[in-house]
Parts: sequence; structure tokens; C-alpha cells
Amino acid sequence: MARWGMVIDLDRCTGCQACVVACQVENNVPPAGSRDAARGRAISWLRLVPLDGGREGHGTRPALRLVPLPCQHCDLPPCTRVCPVFATQKDEEGFVAQVYPRCIGCRYCTTACPYTVREFNWRRPEWPAPMERSLSPDVSVRPRGVVEKCTFCHHRLQLARDQARVEGRQLREQDYVPACVQTCPADAMAFGDLDDPRTTVARLARSPRAFRLLEDLGTEPKVIYLSKGEWGA
Amino acid sequence: MLSRRRFLGFTAGAAAGAALGGVAGAGLRTLFASAESPIVPPRGPERVVLSVCDLCPGGCGVRVRVIGDRAVRLEGNPLHPVSGGRLCPRGQAALQALYHPDRAEGPLRRRGPRGDLSSFERATWDEALGEIGARLAEIRAGGRPEAVVLVTGGGGAGLGPRVARRFLSAYGSPNDVALHRGDDAAAIALLLAQGVRAAPALDLQSADYVLSLGSALLEAWSAPVHATRAYGEFRRGRTGRRGKLVHVEPRLSITAASADEWIAVRPGTEGVFALGVAAAIVGEGLHAKPFVAERVAGLEEDRDAAGRTRPGLRSVLARRYRLEQVEAETGVPGDVILRVAREFASAGASLAIGPRKGPLLPGRLFDHLAAGVLNALVGAVDAPGGVLVADDPPLPPWPALPGGVSAAGRARPKLDGAGPDQPLLASDPERLAEAIRAGTPYRAEALLLVDADPAFASAAPETFAAAVQKVPLVVSFTAIPDDTALLADWILPASHFLERADLHTTPAGVPYPLVSLARPALLRPVRDARPTAEVFLELARRIAPDLAAALPWKDLDALLRWEMEGLHAARRGAVMGTAFDEAFVRMMEGAGWWAPGYRTPAELWTRAHESGGWWDPFYDHGDWRRVLRTASGKVELRGDLLDLAPAAPERDGALALLLFEPLPIAGGTGAELPFLQAILDPGHEAHWETWAEIHPETAARLGVSDRDWIRVESPRSSIVARARLTARVVPDAVAVPVGLGKRGGGRWASGIGANPLRLLAPARDPLCGLPDFGATRVRVARARPPDGSA
Amino acid sequence: MLDLERQDEEPLLAPIMHSGRGFWLLAACAGLLGFAGLAAWLVQLRRGLSVTGLNVPVYWGLYITHFVFFIGISHAGTLVSAILRLSNAEWRRPITRAAEVITVLVLFFGMGCILLDLGRPDRALFVLRHANLRSPLLWDVISVTTYLAASTIYLYLPLIPDVALLRDRLPRRRWLYRPLAVGWTGTPRQRRILHRAISVMAVLVIPIAVSVHTVVSWVFAMTVQPMWHSTIFGPYFVVGAIFSGIAAIILAMAIVRRAYRLEEYLKPIHFNNLGLLLLVMALLWFYFTFAEFLTTYYGAEPSHMAVFLSKTEGRFAGEFWTMIVACFVVPVALLARRRTRSTVWGTVVAALSVEIGMWLERFLIVVPSLSVPRLPMEAAPYAPSWVEWSLFTAFLAVFILLYAVFTKLFPIVSIWEVREGRERSVADVARRVKSYLPGRETVP
Ligand SMILES: Nc1nc2c(c(=O)[nH]1)N[C@H]1C(S)=C(S)[C@@H](COP(=O)(O)OP(=O)(O)OC[C@H]3O[C@@H](n4cnc5c(=O)[nH]c(N)nc54)[C@H](O)[C@@H]3O)O[C@H]1N2
Ligand SMILES: Nc1nc2c(c(=O)[nH]1)N[C@H]1C(S)=C(S)[C@@H](COP(=O)(O)OP(=O)(O)OC[C@H]3O[C@@H](n4cnc5c(=O)[nH]c(N)nc54)[C@H](O)[C@@H]3O)O[C@H]1N2
Ligand code: SF4
Ligand code: SF4
Ligand code: SF4
Ligand code: SF4
Ligand code: SF4
Repeated sequence: MARWGMVIDLDRCTGCQACVVACQVENNVPPAGSRDAARGRAISWLRLVPLDGGREGHGTRPALRLVPLPCQHCDLPPCTRVCPVFATQKDEEGFVAQVYPRCIGCRYCTTACPYTVREFNWRRPEWPAPMERSLSPDVSVRPRGVVEKCTFCHHRLQLARDQARVEGRQLREQDYVPACVQTCPADAMAFGDLDDPRTTVARLARSPRAFRLLEDLGTEPKVIYLSKGEWGA
Repeated sequence: MLSRRRFLGFTAGAAAGAALGGVAGAGLRTLFASAESPIVPPRGPERVVLSVCDLCPGGCGVRVRVIGDRAVRLEGNPLHPVSGGRLCPRGQAALQALYHPDRAEGPLRRRGPRGDLSSFERATWDEALGEIGARLAEIRAGGRPEAVVLVTGGGGAGLGPRVARRFLSAYGSPNDVALHRGDDAAAIALLLAQGVRAAPALDLQSADYVLSLGSALLEAWSAPVHATRAYGEFRRGRTGRRGKLVHVEPRLSITAASADEWIAVRPGTEGVFALGVAAAIVGEGLHAKPFVAERVAGLEEDRDAAGRTRPGLRSVLARRYRLEQVEAETGVPGDVILRVAREFASAGASLAIGPRKGPLLPGRLFDHLAAGVLNALVGAVDAPGGVLVADDPPLPPWPALPGGVSAAGRARPKLDGAGPDQPLLASDPERLAEAIRAGTPYRAEALLLVDADPAFASAAPETFAAAVQKVPLVVSFTAIPDDTALLADWILPASHFLERADLHTTPAGVPYPLVSLARPALLRPVRDARPTAEVFLELARRIAPDLAAALPWKDLDALLRWEMEGLHAARRGAVMGTAFDEAFVRMMEGAGWWAPGYRTPAELWTRAHESGGWWDPFYDHGDWRRVLRTASGKVELRGDLLDLAPAAPERDGALALLLFEPLPIAGGTGAELPFLQAILDPGHEAHWETWAEIHPETAARLGVSDRDWIRVESPRSSIVARARLTARVVPDAVAVPVGLGKRGGGRWASGIGANPLRLLAPARDPLCGLPDFGATRVRVARARPPDGSA
Repeated sequence: MLDLERQDEEPLLAPIMHSGRGFWLLAACAGLLGFAGLAAWLVQLRRGLSVTGLNVPVYWGLYITHFVFFIGISHAGTLVSAILRLSNAEWRRPITRAAEVITVLVLFFGMGCILLDLGRPDRALFVLRHANLRSPLLWDVISVTTYLAASTIYLYLPLIPDVALLRDRLPRRRWLYRPLAVGWTGTPRQRRILHRAISVMAVLVIPIAVSVHTVVSWVFAMTVQPMWHSTIFGPYFVVGAIFSGIAAIILAMAIVRRAYRLEEYLKPIHFNNLGLLLLVMALLWFYFTFAEFLTTYYGAEPSHMAVFLSKTEGRFAGEFWTMIVACFVVPVALLARRRTRSTVWGTVVAALSVEIGMWLERFLIVVPSLSVPRLPMEAAPYAPSWVEWSLFTAFLAVFILLYAVFTKLFPIVSIWEVREGRERSVADVARRVKSYLPGRETVP
């Protein structure tokens, strides 16, 4: 069974945020207005967080480090444990999934996630006409009152599996690529089966530059970052 | 024993309870039915259409997923050499522009006062073109074709602006004015150094060391996706070879944040820093001596054609850019300058990049020339990892321009004085605005705006707003009515790129000739909009036969076929293909063969449409006759110009105004789309407002705290912005993003933020006459919040 | 003898026999506030939680604060009364019922807060249908429901003899009292059974009560969030709960005493004794708070320190230091001295201060940990909206109203227990005290 994971190379990433918008478009995230944004209600499954890069000055590294932050699809997710109704669960392939029709909107998972990547539908999502015509048929639109988050574009796996089945072949590495990974102009993101040593992600994950966020919490994230720097793979 | 009465009572009670519960349950259910958005899924056959994004001049090839009559997803076309299957955030948000609720429904005619969308009423295309065509025909018949002015903006490189400009020339007006583009200063620098009028193309992915002199390389670059892809390769695409990026700027921009090193200079001294580095390189004799000896002129003292002696750059560097001097002016320690000089001179392939800061902010010519000096010194001219010059795609010439009234009109002086008065400039829009306002040397009777919003995005928005009101007929070709459109007489809705066929030529900064093709993804436009090119073809037919003969195509498809047939006749290049195809074409052409993969024009037409277009990936390095077209046939180092470093500002207590263009709203467009408003500054969640970055020390001196509202005031105007205290900007400066503060632009842009371009002093770059976007000094004080914000 | 038997009935039944203008005025005001809350709730149902001040990352705010606050107060009654009963504290007799009613009523409001907080209250029953027993929220559901059931029984049992009295005295309301009195006639056998049942319930209810607030704390402590993930949260919450609960009893007693002129029954000595308990709890609370903050400070884990500093000197410093003053300085100053403690106003002021302080404490537990997430994000500070506030005032108002209605239906001071005290306890206590003293037992 595959263990899907993502590698983000911070040495390539420019902070362009194409991934951020690609995710919103791919997953039918509703547009927010200035009011929503000012009140911290704009939904985004992927954000760039500024991490402290130390001091600045001449001959030192810049103080701003931008880190793209999707759900880490933790192997030991603190979020699923607390859900009272099994509306969020880790499945056999390691996806931390979210079941919208089951979620009661208690937002316990959101408070339990140490990465703060879970979003809540504070109001009913709306698309002023004719914007609803741009919605993708592959992803359900969430109702008001439930939690949502990055799914690793799970629907793309399902579509790729169907396609492979139709064509009577095995799933190939390039068949299943999340929207953010696909659009990244710097090619800073890779995605695939971490347990298959031949995949790009597995190779990159072995890099000496590899690290994971908040590793000491023991959540075992499946998003692996590669730090900036000279040496290593 | 349960009595009958009690039983009945019990039953009735239970029934009432159940009914009540039922009502409550039904109520809850109705309430929560409203939790779901009523979405009708798309229906119909599914197909994939290739198109070209024109939300910026980058012209990325895209694939559109269409279901029935809806476009539901956009992704990069993997065969397209610019996008390579990737898209920037703007391209990703393109469907929000297609389905924007505030796109003009159809042609709009102004009936009430200017500046208000409610003054406009719907008209048919026939009415619009009839009325506008009649008026233009009248002006031409009156022998004053020069009185018609066309202003084009910095949008895509598609057919719309090209046809509009051809239309204007054929009509008989010299007043073809392009708003300034971000590449202008770099292109002028290339013209002075190499005699080529083109934006430089950077071979970033082959470079080892990049010295970015305040450039927005990783933000709103000429073709952002192309540049970012190259950057990824530069960093980690080559095993065992990682490019190093050093960024010099008074502000920790997004590019600076990605760099290995950020060198904070005083505002406006990037060029001085570069020349300090050049002085150290020359002083230590680290420059590429064979290259300099063979291909570079002007380092040593010499005589020009007229026999006068010219001082060599070497002496200028030694006199004017000594280490202590540069240290004092830039604020950068001398050992850092020395170190950078040694690194730059000794890294494999080094490349210096001038301060192009975005589609609206070209940077100063002086700084671009200084970058050019560094490149010349290390031989980064037309070499792998250096500055390249793209060849134009071999498209066929268009039918000749008419004579008669048309030729006479074209011979009249341009209103903007570019050419005779400003030899380095092709257009001078600010001067145009003044001329229109003053009505001299002659009156403008019609103003056509194509992808141009100068009342918002130019160096003099207010002057333009005033000028527009002087013109009796103003026509704006735009999709979502912008600031200038609100002042116009007619708004002619331009189609979205997914609603039309199109042909894009090489975007600035891409080193190989290419022609990208777009098919309409939607067969019927979402609104009653038309492709601008077709509108001009139609106007030509309506106005006069000689004009129609110069633009003889029935529609876009006919024009596209003409172009592709000419391209076929050129007998070079290939249809876009995979990396393998690309390598094959390169190898063959390198060996002198042509391996196009198509034979007939029809085959080229089909295959180019299947792949995304045509290109010629073979770059012939060292074709000096093509890339060095100066009198000397060498790279000219202009010691004379570089002696004139911009004077340091007086110590008047004012702050330097640093403008920057966040990629999502660069070029004055993008704020219309909510997904782009939300990502103005990565790492910050609160957007939808104009912010001003101030160093904490400066802020403390001014009594300003984080998130205070402040007034930024220049001699010309003032804006209100939210203070952000950050060490990302040097003291004694304030950095403000450009792209917000629109009056038009629909619900998500209108009234959001403030436009700092209004603050600009009317200063000119002394070396070339472009507006000097870096010369404005401002004062900052706490202010009351702007209307409508918390 | 007859007089002695009847002497308590007049004043204690008076509120049931007639209601003055005051009651109706109160009912009108409280009803109005209640309806305002209902309107606010309908608005929230219609427009979702967007009408609150909540945001990302402050996903939880006033509703959860009030959940903890109300559940905390619920410890007043049942737990305190059970402890006093089991320890044979004779002075408890006039106050137990007033305390127990608080528990039963306030638990509903605590559970109501959770319902308010749900994004999808229409799916609330999913917690039964799809119960995930690993979720601390489910532990809450179980323990709060158990507590509610136990407390209701525990309130009801000692009510039976008084209900029987009312059944006999108020024929017009026999429809209510007769079924509730379950045939009580006061036979020795009935008395024996009742005493036994009350004792059993008192023993049962204590661990349940302790578990309730422990589990409430675990909702927070079982996450890895800074300043939530703490081993002392269980006892800390229990102490806080009893603390705010006792304060609530004092306030309720003072109001009842004043409104129904029960100065004869609720005497300064009762306030003094409860005041002493409150003082002990204030010291305990401070001890836990101190321990919690000191360990955080010495551990100095950055993410924990961020929350710590936001409380002690950052965005929440005002609330934090007010809490310290209100929960510790004021009550200790007032209650440590006999002069102020033995007066009604002294304990009432201390109790009021404790309620305010404990409200702040709950708020400071819920909100700051969420406001300073581990990975930096720029977020608007949380400011509760009018909907959240009006639902809070509605809950308070309706609680007060229901409490008042209870006093109109049942004696708020247990008549039979007071009487029992008069008849038997004085002698009992005298015997008991004698048994502690040196010397031989005197055979009666
Ligand atoms: N680009 C660049 N290259 C340089 C230099 C430079 O400045 N820049 N500096 C040069 C200089 S001056 C030096 S000294 C060299 C240093 O080069 P190296 O000798 O390669 O030094 P380190 O990188 O410190 O790696 C030493 C290894 O020893 C391991 N190690 C640590 N402690 C122990 C131990 O107790 N026992 C054992 N067996 N292993 C241990 C570490 O994990 C590490 O893998 O690099 C030289 N190369
Ligand atoms: N954090 C950390 N600290 C370390 C080490 C580490 O791995 N990590 N490694 C340790 C080891 S093994 C070593 S050897 C030391 C090295 O420590 P240092 O000796 O400090 O070595 P560098 O920083 O490489 O170079 C010192 C200075 O010499 C200058 N320099 C270069 N060439 C010349 C020259 O020709 N003439 C003169 N006068 N100056 C020149 C450089 O610009 C630089 O400023 O660091 C030690 N300290
Ligand atoms: S798209 Fe790629 S380069 Fe851009 S922010 Fe995302 S990860 Fe970084
Ligand atoms: S990142 Fe957060 S939401 Fe995602 S699996 Fe981990 S804990 Fe759960
Ligand atoms: S908000 Fe939904 S997914 Fe999260 S814990 Fe509650 S029920 Fe589970
Ligand atoms: S994997 Fe898919 S859902 Fe997750 S951040 Fe990327 S695009 Fe969004
Ligand atoms: S870079 Fe320009 S052309 Fe390419 S996707 Fe972005 S906006 Fe479109």
C-alpha cells in the first residue's frame, strides 16, 4: 500500500503562491471578500507561513523564510483522535480525510491541529453569478458549518486510478499529481509514494537537507521540506 | 388501570408533542437546507482546449478543461516552452476573470456624468461601431487623422494591440502611444550597449552566480513563469551545481527573501553599488580580459568616430567609484563589496540583473547600464548563463499602409514628442497627457484605449484623468470597467482570452522566437464581448476602403491563417514539443538541418494548434553581428553616462518612497480577482488594503506604531495606508505596493487600498527621459482611517 | 409541639403561596432577554457561525468559555451539598437545596453552550450515532449526562417530604405535587429508605462530579496545544469549578434571603462558613495557577512561552491581572478576616469577585492558546460579537428565571430537613460532642 507524501524544496520555492491559488481553484474554495479577510475567515487550504530566518544585515541570510503549508497528513494526526463522530480519519493510504456530511462543526480538530491548517465554513460559500460556472465537478462544494482542509487532492488519485483501470495498466508515478504540485513554476514540489524507494519524493526525502515541521511533536508529518543551502542532494 | 380518558389524553399529548417536534425538526431542516450552496454541475461533453494566458505579458500556454459550455479548469500546457505546464497565481485565477460578475454586459455608452458606472447604458455592437466608426470617418474625412490617439497598455502580446496599432497607422495617425513597460529601461540600456532595441533575455538556468540589483526577478518579471522555472533549474536543476543569488536592494523583497544574501543599500544606490563592484573587479584585474579586449569598447580611453577622445570607464571607476566612496554612498561595508566583486568575477557564469521592478516600474537607466557593465566585464554577453537577445519570429509582413490622407497624417509630429525630443523613447505617455490637456500642438479628437488604464496605472494618473476629459470621443476596450473606462464615452467589452482565438509572439525576456496559438475555449462569450482585434478589423471596414485594404482579414481566423502561412514559408523552427523533441530540433539546427515535423501550411496549422504553437529553440551563441549592432560592433561601456551617478537626496527629513509590484496585482491589474487580493504579500494574512513598510526606528521617530493608519504625503498628493513596522526595509524609506486603490475594477477592487502612483514627483530619468519612479520623497504622519475601513 | 412543627412552614412556604410584583417584573425582564437570545440564535442558525467573532485560528471563544464556566458552577450544588451531608455538617440544612437547584439548572445551559457552538447543531445526535469513544468530547457527553441524571435524582429525593407537604397544603396544585410526592406520608420506613437513598446518592455523586470537570479539562489537555497540554488540568479545573460553584451558592443564598426575607434561616453564620470554604478554594486555586505558570515559565518552551507572555504581558494582560485580583487578592483580603467574612456583604462581594475572576479564567484558558499558534499567522484578534454576548445574557436571564420559578413551586429551604435539625440534631450533636470529650459515656 502506498504512503503518499509531498516534498517541498525551499531552495527552489520563490514564494510565488501559484500553489495557493491552484489549490483554491482545484478544490472549489469560495472567494472571500475584504470583510472575510479582515476577520480571519478567508479559506485557504495552503498558506505560506513566514518562519523566522534569524537576523539580517550584510553578508547574512535574509530574515524572511516563506514555507508553503498544506495539511501535513500526519501519520500520527492529533486532529483525528479528538473528532467525536469520526468525521476526520486517516485512511489506509495515509490520507487524513474529512467527511463533510458527517462533520458536526465542533471545531475540535481545528484546535487540536498544531499546524493550524484546518479551515471552517463560517458561512455558506457563495459564488456571485456567473462565477459558479467555473466550479470543478470533481470536488464537492462544502456546506456551511463544517471543517475542511487539504486532501492531497485525493480526487485526483481516484480519477487516475479509474483511468489506469480503463487503460488496463498500473498506476504510474506521474498519473497522480496534486494541483499545487502540478502548477509550481519553480518545480519546488514533488509528490508520490514515500515507501517506494524509486520515486522522486522518496529520493528527495533521503536528502540531508530534509526536515519536517514541528517534528518534536511526534505527529510524523508526510510533508517533507528541503532546506536552503549549499550541500546535499 | 389506565382509564379511557387518560389514555386519550395521553395519546393526544403524545400526538401534539410529535407534531411539535416535527415542526421544530422541519424548521431546523429548512434552516440547514440553506447551509448548502445550490450548485448545478456542468453538463455536456468534455474537451481540452489549448489557449494562451494574457493576464500578463508572459503569454503562458495553457490547457483548458471545458465541460459543455463551461470552462472549469486551467493548467499549464506542458508542451509550451514558456509555461512548461506551470502557471503563476494569476494564470490560476484566470477563470475568476472569465466569470467575473462585474464584467461589462455589452457595449456601454455614457449618458450621464463621467466617472460613474451608473452613467452608462447598454448599447448594441452595431450602434457602438456605427457611431464610433462614423465619428472616426468624419475626422479622417476632415483631413485630421492625426487627431486620433491610441494608447496601449502593458497587457499581453496578442493580436488585439497589434491590430489596433496597425489600424491607427493605416488610419493615418502617428499617435500610437504605449504606456511605459517594465522592460523599457533595460531595453534602452541594451540599445546603448549593444545597439539592439529589445528587452534583454536572461539565461538564468545556465548561470552560476546572479547579482540582482533590485530586480523583481522572482516576482512580476517579464514572463514570470518562465523566469521562475529557470530559477528552479538555476538552484537545483543541475547535479552538483547550485546557482548562488545575491540581491541588492533597500527592501527585503520576495526576490531578496529567496536569495542567499540580501545586501541592503541606501535607496537609489543599486547602480553605485554595481559600479563599486565593477571598480573592484577592474582594479584587481579580475575581469574577463580576452572577452573585454575583443568585444568591449569604452573601458580604456579612446577616440570616437569624430576623432574626439572619450574618457574610458576605467578612469571613471577609479575616480568616481572608489571603495570608500561607494561604501559611504551605499552604506555597504567595503569588504562586502570586495567579496561580491571577487565572487562575481570568479564564479563560473555570472550574471548581473538591473532593477526592473515590475510591469510598471522599469528602474533607472543608470542602474541598468551599471548592470550591463558588470556583464560586459565578465563576458556574460550572449554567452550561456548571460544576457541573450531574442530573434523575432519570422511572421509575414502585413499589407502596405495606405497613402494619401493616411500618409499625410502619419507624417505629422507625435503629440508626445517621442522621437525628436526624446530620442531614446518610443512613447512618452505623460507628455501625451500634458499635450492633450493643453491642446497643443494640435487637439486630440478621439482617444482609443486598448488594455490601457492610464488614469490608474501610469506615472501621472491624475494628469491622465484630466486629459481624458478633454477629448470629445474616448473609447475604452476593457473587460471589467477600469478607472479610465469610467471616464470614457464608450466602453467596448473586450473578450476574455478563453473566448477567442489568438496569436502571441515572443514575450519579453524569453530568448527564442516563438508563436503561441490559442483556440477559443468557449464558443459563446460569457458576456456580449468581442475580441479587440476583430473590432478594429470591423472599424476599418466601416471607415474607408483603403483602411480595409490594409487590414484585409474577415476575422481573427483569417488573420491567423495569414500569419501561419507566412511562418511556414520562413522554413525554420518547429512546432512545440516535448523536451525530447526540443533537444532533437536543437541538435539538427545546430548541425545546419531543418527538421520541422510539418510539410504543408495546413499541417503546420493543425500541429501547432495541437501542441500550442511554433518556436525555434535553437540559440546561436556568439552571432555577434546580430547581437552587437553598435557602431563599433562591440559592447559599448558608457563611461560618459556612468559618470553621472544620481545625486544623493538632501537630508531633509523626508523618506524615500520605494514602490514595488506584488506579482498578483502587478501591471495595475489583478486586484479585480478575489483570489489575487488574498495573496498580496505571502506570509501575511490580512490583505485588501494598502500597506506601507517602515523601519521600526524610523517609525519610532515619527511616533507611528504597527498597524496604525498613516498619511504618506508627497509634494504632489497624499494617500492613506496601514503602517507595517518591519526591518524588511532600510531606515529613512517607506515601501508601498502598487496595484490597489482603484475606482473601477468591480466589487473586489473598487475602493480597496490607495494608489501610490499618484504620489510620484514629475521627475524624469536624466539619462533617457522615462519617468523616474524612484525620485519621490514623502513625509509620513499618523492619520485617521480611510472611509469604510475599521 | 404543634407550633414548633408549623413554625417553619409559614415563612418557607410564603414564596409559593403568593408572588409579588417583584417576581413578575423579574420574569418579564428575564423573558425579554431570553427572547433576545432566541432571536440571536435564530440569526446564527440562519447565517452560521459567521455572526460570531470567531476566526482562524481562534476557533473557540465565548461559547466554549461559557460551557466551561457553567459546568464549573454546576459543582456548586450537588458536590458541596454531598460533601456537607456526608460530613454531617449540621449548618448545611437550610442551604443544600438552594445549591442543588443551581447544579441541575446550570448543567442544561452548559450543554446548551456546546449546542450553540456547533457548526451543524442539526447533526448533534451524530455524537450518539457515530460515537468515537477516543474523543474527549465524547467523554464529556457521557459524564455530563450522567451527572445531570444523578444531580436531578439527588435534588429530587430530599424534595419528596416537602412536596408531600405541599400536596396536602395546596389542593389546587395537586396535579403537580401528587405524582411527585410518590405517596409520601412520612412513615418511619419511608424515612429510613429516604435517608438511605440520599446517602447512597451523596456518595455516588461525588466521583461523578469530580469526573465531570476533570473530563472538561481533558478536552483541552488531551491536545498538544501550548498551555492546554498539562497534567494538572484535571484537578485544576475541579478546584476552579468548586471555587466558582461555592461563590454561586453564596450569591444565590444572598438573593433568596433578601427576596424572601429568610434572614432567620440563612444567617450570617452560613455565609461565614461558606466564606471559609471559599477562602480555602481561593488558596487552592492560586496554588494550582501558580504551579501551572511557574512550570511553563521554567520549561520556557517557545510555543508555550508565547501563550504565557500573551497572558502575563501581552494582548491578554489586562484580563489576566484582573483575574488574579478577582480570584485571589479580593477574596483572600475579604475572607481571611473574620470582620468581613462574618458579614453577608463581605462574602457576597468576595463571591461576586470570584465569579468575575473565574469567568476571566475560563476565557483565558480557551482563547490565548488559540490566539498564538505555533506556526506564525497574522490573524485578527478575537472580539466576541453581539450574538455571542446576547446568548450569554439570555442564558443568565433564563437561568435566573427558572431558579425563581423553582422557588415558586418548591420551598427553596428544605422544610423537613430544617425541622429534622430542630427536632433531632441538637440532641444528636450534643451527644456527638460529648463523645469526643474525655470521660465516660453517659448512658441515657
Ligand atoms: N566549501 C568549503 N569547504 C571547506 C571549508 C570551507 O570553509 N568551505 N573548510 C575546510 C576546512 S578548514 C576543514 S577543517 C574541512 C572540514 O571538513 P570535514 O572534516 O569534512 O568536517 P565536518 O564537515 O565538520 O565533518 C566531519 C564529520 O565527522 C562527524 N563527526 C563528528 N564528531 C565525530 C566523532 O566524534 N567521531 C567521528 N568518527 N565522526 C565525527 C560529523 O558528523 C561529520 O560527518 O572542510 C574544508 N572544506
Ligand atoms: N560554526 C562553525 N565554526 C567553525 C567551524 C565550523 O565548521 N562551523 N569550523 C572550524 C574550523 S575547522 C576552522 S579551520 C575555522 C576557520 O575559521 P576562520 O579562520 O575564521 O576561516 P574563514 O571564515 O574561512 O576565513 C577567515 C577570513 O579570512 C579572509 N581571507 C580569505 N583569503 C584571505 C587572504 O588571502 N588573506 C587574508 N589576510 N585574509 C583572507 C576571509 O575573507 C575571511 O574573512 O572555523 C572553525 N569554526
Ligand atoms: S508554487 Fe512553488 S514556488 Fe510558488 S510558492 Fe508554491 S511551492 Fe513555492
Ligand atoms: S497537519 Fe493538522 S490537520 Fe493535517 S493531519 Fe496533521 S494534525 Fe491533522
Ligand atoms: S469539526 Fe467536524 S471533523 Fe472536526 S472534530 Fe468536529 S466533527 Fe470532527
Ligand atoms: S495537495 Fe491538493 S488539496 Fe493539498 S494543498 Fe495541494 S492542491 Fe491543495
Ligand atoms: S505568467 Fe503571465 S501569462 Fe503566465 S500564467 Fe501568469 S499571468 Fe498568465
